[in-house]
Amino acid sequence: MMARGLGGFVLAFAALAALAVWREDLGLPIFYLVLASTALFWIAQATSWNVLSGYSGYFSFGQGAFVGVGAYTTAVLGGRHGVDFYLTVPVAAVFSALLALLVGGLAFRLRSFRGEIFALLTLAVPFILAALARVNSEIDGGQGVVVPVAEYPEWLAQFQDFLYLLNLVVAVAAVAAAFAIQHTRFGWALASIRDAEDVAEGLGVATFRYKMLAIAVTGLIGGAAGSLFALQIGFVTVESVFGLTIPLFVIVMSVLGGRAHWLGPVLGAVVIVLIQDRLSASGFEGWNLIVLGAILAVLVVVAPDGLQARLWRRPWQAAVALVAVTGVLAIVDGWGGPLDWFVAGVLAAVAVVLWPGKAPAPAERRPAPSAAVPVPTDVDRGEAAESSGHSGPQLRPNSTIDGEVGEVLVECRDVTRYFGGVRALDGVSLQIRAGELVGLVGPNGSGKTTLVNLLSGALRPTSGSIAVAGRDIVGLAPHRIAHVGVSRTHQIPKPFESMTVRDNVAMAIMFGRSARPLAAAREEAQACLDVVHLRHLADAKPAEINLHERQLLEMARAIATKPKVLLLDEALAGLNPAEIDAAVAVVRRIHATGITIVIVEHLLRVVNQLATRVVVLNQGALLADGDPRTVMNDPDVIRAYLGRHAHARGT
Amino acid sequence: MTTLQAALSGALVGGMFAVMAAGLSLTWGMLRVINLAHFGLILVGAYLTFELATSWGIDPILTIVLTVPLMFLVGAGLQWAFDRLGVEEFASLLVSFGLLIIVMQTVSNVWSADFQRMDGDVNPYATESVSIGRFVFPAPTLIAFVFAVVIVVAADQVLRRTFAGRALRAFAEDRTVASAFGIDHRRLGMVLAGLSAASAAVAGMLFALGNAVTPSTPFEWIGMVFAVVILGGIGQVGGVLLAGVLVGTLSAVVSATWSPALSPLVLFSAIILALLFRPYGLLTPAARGAR
Amino acid sequence: MRTRSLTALSATAALTLFITAACSDDEPAADSGTEPAGTAEPSDEGGAPSGDPIVVGSTLSLTGAFGPTGIIHQIAGEQFVEQLNENGGLLGRPVEWMVLDDESDQAQVTALYERLIGQEGVDLIIGPYATPNIISAMAVAERHGFTMPQHTAVLAPLMTYECQFPAWSIGPEPNAYVPEQVFDALESLPTPPERVAFVINQGGSTDFIAQGSPDDDADPGAVPIAEERGYEVVAEIRYPPDTTDWAPIAAQIRDADPDFVFNSGLAVDPVNLLQAMEQLNYRPPLMFSLFPAPGPLLGLGDVADGLLSVSIFEPNDALIQEAGPEAQAIVDEFESRAAAEGLPYTAFETQATASWNAWEILVAAVEGAGDTDQQAMCDYLHENGADTTFSGHLEFNPDDNNFWPSTQGLKQIQDGDWVMVWPADRAAAQLQPPVG
Repeated sequence: MMARGLGGFVLAFAALAALAVWREDLGLPIFYLVLASTALFWIAQATSWNVLSGYSGYFSFGQGAFVGVGAYTTAVLGGRHGVDFYLTVPVAAVFSALLALLVGGLAFRLRSFRGEIFALLTLAVPFILAALARVNSEIDGGQGVVVPVAEYPEWLAQFQDFLYLLNLVVAVAAVAAAFAIQHTRFGWALASIRDAEDVAEGLGVATFRYKMLAIAVTGLIGGAAGSLFALQIGFVTVESVFGLTIPLFVIVMSVLGGRAHWLGPVLGAVVIVLIQDRLSASGFEGWNLIVLGAILAVLVVVAPDGLQARLWRRPWQAAVALVAVTGVLAIVDGWGGPLDWFVAGVLAAVAVVLWPGKAPAPAERRPAPSAAVPVPTDVDRGEAAESSGHSGPQLRPNSTIDGEVGEVLVECRDVTRYFGGVRALDGVSLQIRAGELVGLVGPNGSGKTTLVNLLSGALRPTSGSIAVAGRDIVGLAPHRIAHVGVSRTHQIPKPFESMTVRDNVAMAIMFGRSARPLAAAREEAQACLDVVHLRHLADAKPAEINLHERQLLEMARAIATKPKVLLLDEALAGLNPAEIDAAVAVVRRIHATGITIVIVEHLLRVVNQLATRVVVLNQGALLADGDPRTVMNDPDVIRAYLGRHAHARGT
Repeated sequence: MTTLQAALSGALVGGMFAVMAAGLSLTWGMLRVINLAHFGLILVGAYLTFELATSWGIDPILTIVLTVPLMFLVGAGLQWAFDRLGVEEFASLLVSFGLLIIVMQTVSNVWSADFQRMDGDVNPYATESVSIGRFVFPAPTLIAFVFAVVIVVAADQVLRRTFAGRALRAFAEDRTVASAFGIDHRRLGMVLAGLSAASAAVAGMLFALGNAVTPSTPFEWIGMVFAVVILGGIGQVGGVLLAGVLVGTLSAVVSATWSPALSPLVLFSAIILALLFRPYGLLTPAARGAR
Repeated sequence: MRTRSLTALSATAALTLFITAACSDDEPAADSGTEPAGTAEPSDEGGAPSGDPIVVGSTLSLTGAFGPTGIIHQIAGEQFVEQLNENGGLLGRPVEWMVLDDESDQAQVTALYERLIGQEGVDLIIGPYATPNIISAMAVAERHGFTMPQHTAVLAPLMTYECQFPAWSIGPEPNAYVPEQVFDALESLPTPPERVAFVINQGGSTDFIAQGSPDDDADPGAVPIAEERGYEVVAEIRYPPDTTDWAPIAAQIRDADPDFVFNSGLAVDPVNLLQAMEQLNYRPPLMFSLFPAPGPLLGLGDVADGLLSVSIFEPNDALIQEAGPEAQAIVDEFESRAAAEGLPYTAFETQATASWNAWEILVAAVEGAGDTDQQAMCDYLHENGADTTFSGHLEFNPDDNNFWPSTQGLKQIQDGDWVMVWPADRAAAQLQPPVG
């Protein structure tokens, strides 16, 4: 797949490069290559933006910074210090990548960091660079720098051919890189960050590292293409590169084309560049931007996911429309020139792609009956009854596991966590032994979820220590803690929405303690789906399954990391009684595979039924700890917890 | 002395950015619409003030009597369309960018691309100022600051005290729950977007009071206004005023004591630092935001 | 569902609109040119032009940051082409001007000039507006060997292409010419100023005039020149082009207490500066601003009275008469066209004059060469120069990058209008001394 894809890029490059080398023999007007150069520049820039912002979802307004650093490097080194142009391009790319790493290093250090903040951070960077360049006028001589025309090989007829080839090299390299990223672990990691970053981190994805890698790639491509931009405009000033036009247009192009896919920015850039060119040539003076703005608004409203997703649905119709319209116009030859015919063809293709109509229903993916009514519940209940038969009679569920408790797996010592002035947890000490199934209960705000967040590394304790399997985990990144053997589910399921159910699980396997390739991970994912009885939905998207199934998916994903201890955070919230029974059976099955479980739950019936031991928290402190029946009869517990909440079903 | 004077006039300039940012922040926070067209509305507001004052001889401040209701309708209409077409957060950024360039080109077609500025005889405020002791309060920015305080306090009170305000905040926090309680979010959304656009009319008037406008002026605002919105905390009007004043003051103080050339450098570096330590806005401690 | 068909409908509408737009492609954006045959009666002198039109291509910044001035060049150019066609066209052929909007974006400038030359096959080109755009266009012209008259690039040292011809010259060393002229004028006053405050926009041209070349001490700008001439420089303030808060700058100037403020600024910089100083109840005795937007300054009323700036032509009676018999008609016609376009300030001054010069240089080259052979045009101009209505006879010396000896003088706001005040032999009024 990968090799074939990259082979395709080599072919595409060769074909497109031939246009320049044999342009005169082909009778191709030079302006076509000039226009193509513009498109290629934007393809490279939009792709550069997309690797970080499209794939990982961190919207950047700072593309101008990378273009600017690239353009300035080439202009200043070449124009003022006589450095050979070819040498300046890699230097420009490296400078730009270093800047990107600096920005990333600052921004991504923050955990639980919102996208808007990143957007503003990146917006600020070009302003700072512009001010720096203006203050230090020795950089550009105060007036801007004329970029010397680079020496180009003799077998190219003109400078424009040369510029086209350079842009082609950078653009093809950029798109090939984006393609490769999308089809490797790197791309999966970025997609998981886009869909649910904290979940990805908790499942073992080293999110910081992947974000830094992505921003470095963005910087490299942006800088290299910026370097060519300098050559194209011939005169570089602060205003010509650090403005808002470039950042806004790369966003427009990528989003219009589709930002989850390598082809999206290519489509977006080509469509926008062609439209802009035709508009500016149309003598439509005073209306250019009005028409461009209107087209943009309409396209985004009609296809918010981008052209690429739509094109994938009707590839052949689009191709036919392109060829037919272009061909007919060429044969009739009654209007315009070849470029007009081609642009008309492209627009026809866009219209065909966007025309509303029956999209292949996503529901086709799942078995017909399950789509309509929650039949799987019944299936699961049957299964549940059957499997609970295996683990023992309903009334005395805990007895079979009681004796299997082993050594200390989790050790919390004096764990305290403040939020501002509020003590969410206050000096909690707790041991969990291998093989236990601990019910963690307590009234709302008693600190249960905080404890889970501390154990999984989502939060750090204000003081105290936590060890898992003998290893101190305080201060470890959550993905490290996942590799130590802690896994969790979330109260509100957070699946990776862009991936199928199977791939959600495969993600956890790919990035687990021992990294696995995608194909193998998909194989292994089946087993995890079997445990939770979701195999029949393996190809569905999370949006197509119900809450119960999403909860089960959370569990499947959690056990896919092969955890030593599994933290279930209110995994049964919002389920109906039948679904609860099914989920209980699943939990028990998971426990039976030897995974230690901590379950946070409001439903005492469930806790009683499942847990080998119950821990009660109240107002951030440990209130009781022991055998379920003993604990439930403790007068303190009854007063603090049962007295107020027993009848309230805990919501 | 010069520094204090600069800090003072800078704070007032910050008031103008706060008015520009207030509407943007509210629609972003409450309706999840990143409305770049807001800058277009400010631009149109400025041109309308110019036109009404110049050709009809209306006092420039009073022009808002006409522009505010007009802009309210435009804003509400836009929100209706956004809602109707199901435009989501990111799409709204692009759609409104399209609208912004349409507005800029239209303004250029109507009022030419040249600088338009109210002459001294129609706009008495531009060169006026109020002196208290040794301090001078330039009239255009002083007026802007007063409007900023009025708008921010009013918006804050409405959001806290009225049913509609609380309903909006509930809606911003959890859409489904709010709808379940029978909140007509469409209507509320249109009202909010209308009010936001009305504030753009005021911002436009305030800008025209002290500045020349051209169709491409909005690009000069975007950086600063976004900084104020995010620093203030998205959806927090009080934060917007605070952020505006801080940004304006810092910029002016650097400009007066050091050099105007360094003020963007210091300002945007400070913004980055502020974001790193207060990622949820100046008024929200990081820990609270994280929970 | 209804929403969907609605959007589909609007999508179709937009695309149709667009395709219609594209259709008009084969009737190029001839702005005037084709009109005269129908509207105006053929003029007596040349007879109606006939044959294939000569197409002149250019871009202008009709939108974006340079839009305010771009429109002036558009109006002047349209007027020139129309008048040219009324007078028999060029070589007896009608002239069409294909002007495209470069949106103040250098990348567009390069692409559009490539399109004009390579795709539209224009016969002649003329430069865009604003120095960075002109330098970008110059590179394209050079690649294709086109002769390019250009209106406004005054950074002579950067304009190295031998077939670009400036229509506005501040000589080969504008960074010396401007300050020397300003200080010469000041020193002609009964009590010349002694204390100078410099307020400098960090943009390329303004920075260059103020500081000169940073790499070459032998190539100084206004600040070192002032020091050399014995002025006391009491303030040197540099501000970024996107400055919004002028109060701190105004306060610094006030505190420095200069006799003279030298603002190496652009567009509305001096308007904002004067306004901010007025708010502080301070007026500098005398101020100069380099490249201001002339209209908004007049709108300031007496606040701006006495302000100095540079000019190559002002529509003052004395200057119009000196320019010759056609000048009055040109100036009047421009004013009515500018008013029709809704421009707030309609005077035919430096920018429009530069535009007119550029077109006259182009016409002189074509007529001199006898056809549109680019090299012949370029050679003709080098050998013979060109005659212009407003700047007289121009000689182009490639050693000076074709920057002819400058005719630029100083203008001043007096009684609410711009008047030429320096040099004395081209002045329409006396230079007014500082107030107070």
